[in-house]
Amino acid sequence: MMKYISHEDLISPLESALIEMNIKSSEKLQNCMMEALTQEKSDSAREMFSEIIENYVIAQEECLPLCQDTGMVMAEVSMGIEVVLTGGTFQEALDEAIRRAYQKSYFRKSVLTDPLIGKNTGDNTPGIVFIQQTHGDELQVNLLVKGGGCDNISALKMMTPGIDPDEIKKFILQELDKNASRACPPLIIGVGIGGNAAYALYLASRALGRPLGTPNHCKEYRQWEEQWKNEINQLGIGPQGVGGRVTCLEVHIESYPTHIASLPVGMVCSCHVFRQKKLSW
Amino acid sequence: MIRMKPINEYILKTPLTIDDILILHSGDKVLLNGEVYCARDATHRRMIADIKAELELPFLLMNSTFYYAGPSPAPPGKIIGSVGPTTSSRMDQFLEYFLQRGLRATIGKGERSSEIKKLLEKYSSVYFITCGGAAAYLSSFVVRSDLLGYEDLGAQALIRLWVRDFPLLVAYDCYGGDLFESGKIHHRRINLIE
Ligand code: SF4
Repeated sequence: MMKYISHEDLISPLESALIEMNIKSSEKLQNCMMEALTQEKSDSAREMFSEIIENYVIAQEECLPLCQDTGMVMAEVSMGIEVVLTGGTFQEALDEAIRRAYQKSYFRKSVLTDPLIGKNTGDNTPGIVFIQQTHGDELQVNLLVKGGGCDNISALKMMTPGIDPDEIKKFILQELDKNASRACPPLIIGVGIGGNAAYALYLASRALGRPLGTPNHCKEYRQWEEQWKNEINQLGIGPQGVGGRVTCLEVHIESYPTHIASLPVGMVCSCHVFRQKKLSW
Repeated sequence: MIRMKPINEYILKTPLTIDDILILHSGDKVLLNGEVYCARDATHRRMIADIKAELELPFLLMNSTFYYAGPSPAPPGKIIGSVGPTTSSRMDQFLEYFLQRGLRATIGKGERSSEIKKLLEKYSSVYFITCGGAAAYLSSFVVRSDLLGYEDLGAQALIRLWVRDFPLLVAYDCYGGDLFESGKIHHRRINLIE
């Protein structure tokens, strides 16, 4: 049985989700920050966490975006083979949702038509779409909104096959030591291991897009996620880089088969304004 | 941790003077009052082009404070939208040009390149940070905003904000002090071998 989804039926939930994500943080995230505040001892770190928490209240009260950088929208889509979209492509529906949400809610428009010779598109479109096919008749969309600051510290390294997984951790720790303060920590960190160069970064992004509190289902990876998070927090970078115990809230890893001669490792981060939402039809 | 340096708190008013700068040390808390100028990289490029073309800037650079920020649009009836800091290191390349012309302080987020600390010493200037991503909260300290120019740049237009008790931390002072570095020294519990 085919499932038909009309253009409009796609657009309006996407639009509401985009508005909500930019104004209201999930309860889980807010609780993480409360918890972090209690862990910090230094004045500067406590000040930063207090402001982050205060921000949740004011953004919601005043209906203002949590961050002035309302980012570029990314959608990771898994589409059942029995799903039929009518009236337009997914990309068109997403772009229309962005256009409406960003206009209506006075969000900042931060997208250029071309990185080198472009102008502002004026409506924050286009979004970035990745589509994967699955069985069944479900359409799942994982939305991720990220600003430039945290995207700019993304990294890719083609490592040597057969190395100790600790080497991957070391690569991540060194990258964060150099750059984390610019990406509005505490961070959520996505790591993609395997595939090829392009796919490793996609995996990292997909890992990042997992909701908070959902560890990898494989035992080894789950342990690395926990261990790497703890060691990142021992770096002492702290909220906004002012020094402290909480630099990272979660590490999410995803892996994929890879070529015998390669070990691609990608890292993608989100700032503390973690804007992620899953929708399904 | 060895011990924490006592943190001083100051209430300052812009335009900041060299005497104001000299009392500040990295880690100090400052509540800033008065006008600050929102400028991002495109704004800097425009200002430089205007200065080179011998056009006058619409404000006095002497002892001014730049806020590296591109606010979200103001909803009807509001003074301004959300207005948090952007990454300062993008403006490193322009800093000396403006320090030479009287810029006194900058506000942003994140570490900057190592030459910046030397420039701040040379020109008696400080680099403040404020909490990135707390942009709705920070907008509540803005009492007035004026669009001064480059409207076509959208979020990168030149805007004058009038702020009241705007909460800042001194990240780099004019003595080489560095809040990021001392933060790591106090809190690091792991050895990161290169
Ligand atoms: S990194 Fe995140 S919190 Fe920081 S300015 Fe960018 S979008 Fe906002």
